[in-house]
Amino acid sequence: MAGDFELTRNITIGQYLPTGSVIHRMDPRLKLLAAALWILSISLCHTYLGNVAGLCVCLALFALARIPLSYGLSGLKPAIPFILILAILQLLFYGNGYGPSGQVYFHWGILRITSASVRVVVVSTLRFVEIIFAVSVLTLSTSITELTHGVEGLLRPLGRMKVPVHAFALIVTIAVRFVPTFAMEMEKMMKAQASRGAEFGTGSWWNIARRTRDVFPLIIPLFNTALVRAEELALAMEARGYVPGQARTAYRRYRAGGRDIVMFLAGMALSAALVFAPFPF
Amino acid sequence: MGESNRGDILTVSNLHHTYLQGTPLAQPALFGVNLVIPAGSCVAIIGHTGSGKSTLIQHFNGLLRPQMGEVVVNGARLSNPQVDIRAIRQQVGLVFQNPEDQIFERLVGDDIAYGPLKQGIPLSEVVQRAKWAMGVVGLDFDEMKNRSTFAMSGGEKRKVALAGVLVLRPQILVLDEPTAGLDPRSRRDLLRRIRDLNRSEGLTVVFVSHNMEEVAYLADTVYVLAAGHIAFHGTPRELFGALDERPDLQVGAPPGVEILRALHSRGYHVDTTRFTVPEVAEEVAAAASGQRGPAAAAEPPSGDLSAPPTAWEGPAHRREPDGRHPHAHAEDRGDAHGR
Repeated sequence: MAGDFELTRNITIGQYLPTGSVIHRMDPRLKLLAAALWILSISLCHTYLGNVAGLCVCLALFALARIPLSYGLSGLKPAIPFILILAILQLLFYGNGYGPSGQVYFHWGILRITSASVRVVVVSTLRFVEIIFAVSVLTLSTSITELTHGVEGLLRPLGRMKVPVHAFALIVTIAVRFVPTFAMEMEKMMKAQASRGAEFGTGSWWNIARRTRDVFPLIIPLFNTALVRAEELALAMEARGYVPGQARTAYRRYRAGGRDIVMFLAGMALSAALVFAPFPF
Repeated sequence: MGESNRGDILTVSNLHHTYLQGTPLAQPALFGVNLVIPAGSCVAIIGHTGSGKSTLIQHFNGLLRPQMGEVVVNGARLSNPQVDIRAIRQQVGLVFQNPEDQIFERLVGDDIAYGPLKQGIPLSEVVQRAKWAMGVVGLDFDEMKNRSTFAMSGGEKRKVALAGVLVLRPQILVLDEPTAGLDPRSRRDLLRRIRDLNRSEGLTVVFVSHNMEEVAYLADTVYVLAAGHIAFHGTPRELFGALDERPDLQVGAPPGVEILRALHSRGYHVDTTRFTVPEVAEEVAAAASGQRGPAAAAEPPSGDLSAPPTAWEGPAHRREPDGRHPHAHAEDRGDAHGR
């Protein structure tokens, strides 16, 4: 019960944990690119062994970034229901449509569990965990400013095709930046409403109508403050001379050094290995 | 101070709290806080931003549970996981900072009635309570109950939010900076109503404030919180008298006290331990008549809060620590705020 309202505790996205490790000091553009490639290769890898290897690499990344693993695990916690529901649905129905091949373990009505559906379940669960870990390491080791510069730097070539790269980077930055803020606001709102008799998450899970009504006292004020905040942010930016679409210089310039390139190549090699290595099963 | 335990409605003993315990971002906020709130008293908790005030008051109604130490409300120990937390939250009404943010219903009456309806209290009783709560904060029931919550002034919204907690009929009202961000007029009105609640309705009031004038006006006991522990505990008189010896508290004196000190340093014989507006006025008047000083020195203080001096009229001497207040408080000057 003690941690009832500590929402911020479970949200690792958007948090930055400075430890000064090599991962932290890597050039944000290359880091972002390497992370994207790595996540792509995780999504493409469909062998048991490959995903176990991928998981090991993700765990090694935590060590390399000197970020306690407990951080990654607490980021995993809110995703567990989704992973479970996905796994159950896949286990029950995947065998019918997409995986008729392989050995049939169980068959009843429209439910069919085959070796292929078991594989899909295990692999997609592992993938989910790996991706959450990878994203956690990325966001925990990269400050928001670096992340924006990374996104902007990577998308710059698109700017020549009149894509509003800077605006896009800004949108992403603001969205990520406000995740912890809204978590805190939500926490405060939950406490305030609980103080006047509200209860959250006590209704039975099947009583969806009641549970939905229960969150009105949170959602409505939260929307309200979010809109107010958005307006204030826009004003504050304009007051400090922000003009949309205008060319801007940066206080910090990033230049990829030799170490960054070596690390990026290592990341590429790992990603390639995950996709192309002949894992036996 | 050696109070007996008989009349204490809330006690905190050796309370510790660490935010994000068990994560790399763990941040200790309270270190062994001890505090006693006698029934019927009006207690101010002051301290710098980050001194742990908000953390402390969130323990009062069990939003935070003691990680170490104990909080006892009406005999119920909050460290006990089996304690009926809904009953505690009903007994201890907590009003957060900027409580108007928490209004979510379309109509004022619905929003105020939310808590008791949620508790399953029959509608007729809820209406009675809402009438009382709105009356106490100065909102006319018949006129305001069907008003839209989003078309109200800041001061009115805050009153609605306050009524939404009072409607639970708590025995202790805990307020986190109740007047922050209000205009001077709404602020004065709200303070007077909080004071009436304490003095006439016998409600125990605990409030967090940065404003020493409010502390001087409302509180009979003051706790100063610094870096997660209680740095001072006593009456406002004791606190304002000890400020010279205790610069570590970083507490400023109310303007009235500053005025008396300024007079004192210029050679006037005034009693610098007096601090309420009527007391200060008395001292200033005495200095002006007794001393052969310049007339300018006798002008009454004109801080923003004391603009119309009558609004701050209070008893000259109120030092009843148990809150039994002899003062009849007949100065209900109609309702300045109602329309």
